[in-house]
Amino acid sequence: MRKIQSMISTTGADFRRNEARNRELVAQFRAKQEHARHVRPKRDLERLSSQGKMRPRERIEKLLDPGTPFLELSSLAANMAYDGEAPSASSIVGIGIVSGREAIIRADDPSVKGGAWYPLSVKKIVRALDIAIENRLPVVHLCDSAGGFLPLQSELFPDRHMAGRIFRNQSILSKMGVKQLSLVFGHCTAGGAYIPALSDYSVIVRGTGAVFLGGPPLVKAATGEESTVEELGGADMHTSVSGTCDYPAANEDEAILIGREIVAQWDRPQKWPIQRETPEPPAYDPQELYGILPDDIKKQFDMREIIARIVDGSRFHEYQPNYGSTLICGFANIWGFKVGILANNGVLFNDSSLKGGHFIELCDQNNTPLVFLQNITGYMIGRDYERRGITKDGAKMIMAQSCARVPKFTVMCNGSFGAGNYGMCGRAFDARLLLAWPNHQIGVMGGDQAANTLAEVKANQMRRAGEPVDQATLAHVRAETLAAYQEQISVYYSTSELWDDGVIDPVDTRNALGMAISASLNAPLGEKGYGVFRF
Amino acid sequence: MPLHLTLNGEKHSIEILRRKPYLVLKVDGRTHEIPDWSAESIGEMAVDGSATGIARAFVDEGGRETCFVRIDGRTHEVVLIDPREEGAGHDATRDEIHAPMPGAIVSVHKQAGEQVVRGETVITIESMKLQTALAAPRDGRLLDVLKRAGEGFDRDELLARLEPADEV
Amino acid sequence: MSQSAEAEPLFRKVLVANRGEIAVRVMRTLRAMNILSVAICHRVERDAVHARFADEAYEIKGETPVAAHLDADAIIAVARDCGADAIHPGYGFLSENATFARKVVAAGMTFIGPDADTIDLMGDKISARNFAAKHDVPVAPSVQAQDDMSGFVRAASEIGFPLLIKAAAGGGGKGMSVVRDASELSERARIASSEAQRYFGDGRIYAETYVDRPRHIEVQVLGDGKGGAIHLFERECSIQRRFQKIVEEAPSAPLPEATRAAICDAAVRLAAAARYKNAGTVEFILGRDGRFFFLEMNTRLQVEHPVTEMICDVDLVRAQIEIAAGGGLPLIQREVRANGHAIECRICAEDPDAGFLPATGPIRLLRAPTGEHIRFENALEQGQRVTADFDPMLAKLVVWGRDRAEATDRMVAALKQLTILGLRTNIDYLIRLLEAAAFRDGALHTGFIAEHADILAPATVDERLRDRILIAAALGQRAFREAITVVGEPHASMAGWRN
Repeated sequence: MRKIQSMISTTGADFRRNEARNRELVAQFRAKQEHARHVRPKRDLERLSSQGKMRPRERIEKLLDPGTPFLELSSLAANMAYDGEAPSASSIVGIGIVSGREAIIRADDPSVKGGAWYPLSVKKIVRALDIAIENRLPVVHLCDSAGGFLPLQSELFPDRHMAGRIFRNQSILSKMGVKQLSLVFGHCTAGGAYIPALSDYSVIVRGTGAVFLGGPPLVKAATGEESTVEELGGADMHTSVSGTCDYPAANEDEAILIGREIVAQWDRPQKWPIQRETPEPPAYDPQELYGILPDDIKKQFDMREIIARIVDGSRFHEYQPNYGSTLICGFANIWGFKVGILANNGVLFNDSSLKGGHFIELCDQNNTPLVFLQNITGYMIGRDYERRGITKDGAKMIMAQSCARVPKFTVMCNGSFGAGNYGMCGRAFDARLLLAWPNHQIGVMGGDQAANTLAEVKANQMRRAGEPVDQATLAHVRAETLAAYQEQISVYYSTSELWDDGVIDPVDTRNALGMAISASLNAPLGEKGYGVFRF
Repeated sequence: MPLHLTLNGEKHSIEILRRKPYLVLKVDGRTHEIPDWSAESIGEMAVDGSATGIARAFVDEGGRETCFVRIDGRTHEVVLIDPREEGAGHDATRDEIHAPMPGAIVSVHKQAGEQVVRGETVITIESMKLQTALAAPRDGRLLDVLKRAGEGFDRDELLARLEPADEV
Repeated sequence: MSQSAEAEPLFRKVLVANRGEIAVRVMRTLRAMNILSVAICHRVERDAVHARFADEAYEIKGETPVAAHLDADAIIAVARDCGADAIHPGYGFLSENATFARKVVAAGMTFIGPDADTIDLMGDKISARNFAAKHDVPVAPSVQAQDDMSGFVRAASEIGFPLLIKAAAGGGGKGMSVVRDASELSERARIASSEAQRYFGDGRIYAETYVDRPRHIEVQVLGDGKGGAIHLFERECSIQRRFQKIVEEAPSAPLPEATRAAICDAAVRLAAAARYKNAGTVEFILGRDGRFFFLEMNTRLQVEHPVTEMICDVDLVRAQIEIAAGGGLPLIQREVRANGHAIECRICAEDPDAGFLPATGPIRLLRAPTGEHIRFENALEQGQRVTADFDPMLAKLVVWGRDRAEATDRMVAALKQLTILGLRTNIDYLIRLLEAAAFRDGALHTGFIAEHADILAPATVDERLRDRILIAAALGQRAFREAITVVGEPHASMAGWRN
């Protein structure tokens, strides 16, 4: 592997302009994140502290091994939903280290409507458990939730990937032998009660922790029976009478200590062997990413400059450097792990599609995880390309990418439009982790293109009807479409809807990928095999 | 969570900030780099660029773990605080001795008002032809023993209580 | 004099009626002299070093371990049954028990020590004083307590205050008390008497001139039992706590040559007059005015005998055995030469910062100092538990130097090297003591420790040292080390990264 020779001038005007713009975007992202993480109504915070409860992030910090990283996922989930009532979708999810073991940490946030689950909370929890299943990561649930947010029950209860999926996933995890631990700090009511019940281990805090299908008011309404929280689902009852929970804890600190001891006696995972070198930071400063990413999504930039600021020693072995040059393929190490990288340097042509498909098969053959760096406007369209079979060449790439059994990771670097999203392992293609940068935009096509396309359709309608083409009407169509797009193609909309696993600061990409790759090694690789390639 | 220790009656905390490429610890808010350390009882330890010969030995007795550390011809005693003990706070179950199974009292070894140390047998019971010694759950003074030799009891029945511990 | 390897050993087998470092030290010489050694032990010390070091070891039953070591009849029975032809009593226990010495001889064995009558004579402080006075050995003016307390008070007051009350049969500071005023004399005498009764079974007490800030000077003597006696110079044992020595040296700290000669002559005079046989020590107190008074004679090997051995290059145990075997004095006075300076520190399980209270606990880590001119007299081993069954003295550290300053430096270095961890010891205290300017200047007296209490207190621990101590303790703990090593890469290098 050779060190990438950067062509960027870090003192040029373009660099400065880009840098200012991207730092501004990151500052906006951090502000949103800060808000989602910490800004809560005073009343809710006071209620927590009067109950002697920690805030969920304090619990997580105490649970994690000191001096170890935590990769938080989807910190801005639901940021554009429910009028901002459910920051982080009232559930915190991340990958962290507990007693030396990688684990998914999932915490209810009792400072948001008593930890109530909104529809996007359920989506986030299901996704967290999907990640656990895909990577065989143990899960620690920090339970403190009032249950489903009833006004929106139809959006969180009945469908296949709604609340029931949480418990289905828990069961599947247990069947796979992947451990789950619940630390019950607050109430686990109704469906939420199954979270500790379906965990292999559970700890419950005396006094504040409670697990029951129906709380005292519900029981009273249903059967007229008078009961207390302690009687229905308190720590002593569950750990000495019902056996629903395993360990009583005197307080939250002790619950966390017991939890850490439980995790400490779990078997260490046997990770599958990946080619590993001694980690080495990139030779080029990752901070320079801010000056490389353009201030306008339409401006082209060289993805090699991005790669140079993510991979070990900025070293990269480029595969087929002269063929299909709009898709850069090659090998590098991230935190010592050998990976195959596919990065867009323009629209996908026939040759770049074929090159991508071939490279994916190569990596799959050699147990090399794949990293997709997306900045794609789509596959090339037009008569010539269709005649040359751009669709079937794109299909080959999608087939190879879909069927590859090595872990895949996707970073949305700038733009993701059209079928290029599919070929480059978009959300539907089960990337183990899909992360997006604050400047990123996503849509079936760009806002301008969509507006122009719809305006063109409208003009055709008018022509067919024999009417004169009214420019004012077309302008109106264009403006409306653009406005709707503006909101929906923003990364904040996408992350709000959990179309990704979170927005990250570009300089955090290396660490995020390092943790994701490391986590992925817990799950054994599946059988090799592909569908029918259309040649 | 940080490790808590006491030295000369003062409480301190140590936290791991970083493991590689070298160990970084935070002691009461002060950061120290430890590029080299040994697990041996006699060895060298480098802290912030200067090496120190150390000898140490642990004594885990009487419910507390003490580390004797000898540095530069001087020995210091450090008590390492068990986070579970520290975090547990007041736990009513540590004040009471309950019957683990139904049975009868064979003998009562300690009476109300007597001082007991943790682990000391207070009552011997017999159940299913098996004798079991029930020990004091902590150091303290017995408040009362509720059964006499020969008396029977059910599972979970309260047999003896300790006087509430002073708040620490 | 010394035996050649081929020569018939002086004894075939010797029982050492003691334990710990002194038993091992005696056995080492026995072994060098090709004599079989026999140890005795109580049940609790069956695995003790002295029992394993001996060629044979026998258990003595006893209510307490100390009682076993004081059971004269049982010990003599063991010695007879195993075919020992002599008994060495070490120090403490039965070493100054005339009845025991008599019984040993009656059982047909040799007692390696003085005759029982001499033990009797010197064992009683009052008869010893009278004997000394009769032979021109200076004694402090004193008066013995009578049943008539008022007579005692009157006579004592005539000597003048302050006075020191002592037990006639005593030692080790038990029953001792300083009286500064006539008004408190009778009450203090009553307390001292009852204490003496309790400790020694003999309530007799006496009062003598109290010498303020005295030095403790003692002389090592050897006698042939026929009136021939020599000295092996003096030792200074002025550093004491709770009336017990903790630092001894030979020769003494600066002392006028004439005083030294006068003290040594007095000691030899006493030993010769008593027709003293074997090794003994004549103790004196030396006032600041140069006057010295006879204190007592110890009719046995002293704890601190190694300092004399180091400056005179003799083996006192060998000398004891040779004399006991009838070989007479192994050397004449002219041949006794002192060279350099030796210091001994008694390493004790105690807490100097809490009134030198004895400490107990396990020895979890033991590292002996090594180097030339260093003797570490001990019977310790790692893993052993120090209990309250025996004296808190764990070991003795003895060093030699060309002069006092060199010996002091070497002792400090050796003490720093000596590591006994798992219980409280006086090692650090001894370091502070030997590093004190007043000690280096030789301004010693028996109240040294009380006088310099402030400078002998431990220095405060500064922040830098404190953090090192805490880090060392944390890294010693298995759980803390595991918390470090359990985290693999890449997480170990990412440290506390958050996104």
